[in-house]
Formats: sequence, C-alpha cells, structure tokens
Amino acid sequence: MTGIVDAEGVTKGYGEVLGLNGFSATFPPGITGLVGPNGAGKSTFFRLLAGQLRVDAGTLTLLGHPAWGQGEFRRRVGYCPENAALFDWMSGEDFVTTLLRVDGFPRAEARERAGRAIATVGLTEDRLRRLRTYSKGMRQRIKLAQCIAHEPDLILLDEPLNGVDPVGRATLSELLRKLKADGHHIIVSSHVLYEIERLTEQIVMISNGRVIAQGDIHRIRDLIDARPHVIEIDCPNPRDLARYIGAWDHIASIEFSGERRLRVLTRSPEALYSALPELVIARGVSVTALRSVDDNLDAVFRYLSEGAR
Amino acid sequence: MSISAPRYASAPTERLGRTDRALAIVRQQFLNQSTGATWAVVALTYIAVILTDALYVLLASFVGQATSATFEFAYESPVLPFLLLIVATVVGAGCIAQDLGSRSIVLFLSRPIKTLDYLGAKMAATGSWILIATVGPGIVVVVIEAALGTVSASVALSAAFGFLATGLLATIFFTGLVVALSSLTTRPLYAGVATFGLVLSLYIGVGVVAGITGNSIVRYADPITNVRSVAQAAFGVSGAHPTDPVASAIILLVGGACLAALAAWRLSRVEVVAE
Repeated sequence: MTGIVDAEGVTKGYGEVLGLNGFSATFPPGITGLVGPNGAGKSTFFRLLAGQLRVDAGTLTLLGHPAWGQGEFRRRVGYCPENAALFDWMSGEDFVTTLLRVDGFPRAEARERAGRAIATVGLTEDRLRRLRTYSKGMRQRIKLAQCIAHEPDLILLDEPLNGVDPVGRATLSELLRKLKADGHHIIVSSHVLYEIERLTEQIVMISNGRVIAQGDIHRIRDLIDARPHVIEIDCPNPRDLARYIGAWDHIASIEFSGERRLRVLTRSPEALYSALPELVIARGVSVTALRSVDDNLDAVFRYLSEGAR
Repeated sequence: MSISAPRYASAPTERLGRTDRALAIVRQQFLNQSTGATWAVVALTYIAVILTDALYVLLASFVGQATSATFEFAYESPVLPFLLLIVATVVGAGCIAQDLGSRSIVLFLSRPIKTLDYLGAKMAATGSWILIATVGPGIVVVVIEAALGTVSASVALSAAFGFLATGLLATIFFTGLVVALSSLTTRPLYAGVATFGLVLSLYIGVGVVAGITGNSIVRYADPITNVRSVAQAAFGVSGAHPTDPVASAIILLVGGACLAALAAWRLSRVEVVAE
C-alpha cells in the first residue's frame, strides 16, 4: 500500500460497541472524502489518525508512520477535530499562535503565520476577540486556521463544514480546492454528502465501521449497476414512450410520475442511454429531457449501505 | 484506482526544540489557570499568612527575641498548610482533567509534542502557582519584619531559606498529587474533591490512628505532618519533630516523583473518547 493513509483491517471498539470493524482503505494523494451517516465510524477513524485512540486490531499508518503516539512526523499533519473545545479565554490570534508555538515556530513567525491563516479563513476582523464570543461557524473556521497554519502535507478535517453558513461553506470549499492545488493532501469527512461531492470525486464510503465502497464516485456507481437505476424522462406523450421501452430487457419498472414524465428503473443505464436516441429517431418519439436522479453520492450511499446490511 | 506516490507541499523546516514547544503549553496553561478563583485563593493565602505570621513574629519580638524559628508559625498554625491545599486543588484539579473532558488535549497531542513534554508543561504551570502561594507570602513576611527591624538580617535570611526550602518540597508533592489525580478523570470537580478529600482524610485519620496506637510511624503517611516536620527543621525549630525531617523530605520528594510517574503512565495510555 502506498497511500497517504493506509488502513488494513482496523478495528476499534468502545466496550461492546464497535466504532470500526475491519476497516480497510487506502487514501490516495489529493482530496478524499470519507462519507457515511452519523455513527458510521468517521470520527473514530479521525481520532485514530490523530493519535487520540489506539487500534484494537489491524494496522493504520499515515505518511508511512504508525498513527498511534506522538512523533516529529506530526508536524506534517494538520488536524481539525469535529468537536474539541477551544481555549475560550484566548483570542483567535493567540489561539492559533500558541498552537504554532507548540509546533515549534519562533514567536514572530508563529504570529505571522497565524495572521495569514486567520485571513485565509476570513476571520481577520475578529482575530482579537476572545474565542468564547465566537459563533459556531467562526469556531469551525478558527479550528481550520490552526489546522492549516503550519502548512502541513496532510490535512485531516472532521466535519469541517458543520455549523458553517452557506457563504462560509462556499468559501471553505474553495479554500480546500486551493489547498489541494497547492499540493496538500486532504481527508475530509461529512455526512452531508453533496458537500463532499462538490469537493472531490474520490471517496471512501463507510457504514457500521466498515468500508462499503472506495474510489471514484462514478466507478462506484458502476459497481452497483446491477441495482435498478432511476432515470426520469420528460416527454409530451409518456404512454407511447412507455410502450416502446417497456419491451427492453433491462427495464425493471416504469412509473408515470407526471403528465409529461416517466420514471424508469433500469438495470443498465448505459443501454438505455444508447438505445433511447435510436428509438427517438426510429419511432419519432419526442423526448424533451433526460436525467439520472440518483447518480449522486446520496443515492449511491443509500444503495451501498442497504447492501452492506 | 490509480495510486501515485505522495507529493509533499513543503520541505521540512527548522523548528524550535522540545523546551520551547513545552514552554508554549506552560504559558497557555498558566493563563488558563489565571481565573478569578485562583487569584482569590492566592490573595487569601497572602493576606492570611502575612497577617498571622507577621503579627506573631512582631508579638514574639516584644516578649523576647524573634528567631527564624518564630517564622515557622505559618506552618505550625493551620493557615498555610490548608491554604496550600486549597490553592493546589483550585489551580491543579482541572489542569489535565479539563483537557480530557473537553477533548482539547487533542489540539496538543496531535502535534509534534511528546506526552512527557505536555505533562511537564502542565506540572510547571501548576507548580508555579503553588510556589507563588507558598513561598511568596512567607518572603513578604520576612521583608516586612526586616523592614520593621524586628529581626536581624541573618535571621531574615535564615527564615527566607526556611520558607523557600519548605515551599519547594511542598510544591513538588502537591503538584504531583493534584496533577496525578487530574489525569485520572475527565472532571475537574472529581479531581479537586479527591485531592482535598485525600489530604484531609490522611491528616485526620493518621492523627487519630497515631493517637490511639501511639505509633508515630504512621504519621509519615500524612503529607501535612511531613511538610510541618520539614518546616520545623528548615526554620531551625528545636525539640522533637513529629517525624524525622529528612525522612519526611524524602517522602515528599519521592512521593511527588511517583505521583508524576503515575500521571505519565496514565497519559501514555489515555485515549480521548467522546462522551
């Protein structure tokens, strides 16, 4: 395995509850999204990576080092925890500067880097305010600032967009893309799937502590083509169209979802996409719109997690 | 999936060493502990010790000659030992428990810092507050008495040494105790109650057992008796001490070190689990 992060059969339990159960995945360079519902084991995985937890079984390495314990390699890692408390009595600037000092930066450089990171997350005007006065979104952003201020090679972001307003989300998403362009590797988790989909196509899907799929979102979609794939077709005369396509082998069901709309379940969307234009030409059937309603991460996740149960 | 070799954004740069990194945590912790409650108990300690000890030495100078042993009243009376206990509890109970409870410990330990550096920094900050509260008021009393002319310079110096030596040993033990108990829980309140309850229980329990059995060996189990015994020797109090001062000093030193080792052992195994 040659990923930025490699997990092989990682198991972690809390008493009788398994947080991770034989989790195996390789996280390649670039941005990788770790997606799954609440309680799937995402935060457990991040805590293992941050050295907060020790694996019960299996191996977990980041940047080639075992994840448990402290070491100099941690200066190459930035970690933005989901819900760790901040030092509320400090100002935002002091908070980031202090943690940069713990990273080993001299005072002047730490302050300069803190200023840059705080500006990057858009908190310059509020940098001297005490953290206890920060809103939830601002706290998320200052956590992100401390995570990126030392320019780590690997950035671990546990639900970074949680609590951030829509404008802030767009800004942070743009920032993450910029960090990736600058050569940083990012592992970001979220249970809000469209956020991940907008950031990267490279995902690891987790459910009940196990990886249920890994890779490019479209390739994952290919893996589940045996399952019915929902495609909506808008046309002036849906009954005529239904009569023709109902004869195709790969069509599982057809539903009239509106006066001018068909909802088709197919086991082979590619076959439908290639055959439909021929049908339009050969039979003179009019089709005004065609869309795959479940070719997105949310739908893929639902399919896969149902299959994993 | 295609996998390529990792490409890193920046070359490793020179950073400051462990001491500087730990000092950043010392500063952070010292500021964290600088609360209204801390200042209140520290101020109370100064006021109580200065009023009682300075007055006692002043009165002693009227009826006879005040010596360095006269200053030991601060430890002989319940004032300084119990205020020292309160300061240690208020300042130190949350020093690790708070980080564990809020999981802010991850902000430190996910960085290139060793657990021992983190622990050392926490102990340094906590110990600083305890030292300020134990040595500081005694030194102020000495300065006042010297300024008033009630004691000679040599007596003042001797008394200052007594406060410094006793204060240092007491600080080592109580810092170790409160930090160790703080590392065992995620709730500062529990650590505080445990610290206060343990020391008070030993003080009362050992006194009762020693009184009933007449066995003075058990007195070594009481930290306050050990501190008093060391104080008596350091201030040059003549007569029989409740315990052997050297043995008591060793117990305080070794006890503090063992408690620090307990905290280190605990931190090396601690896992930060969400509540």
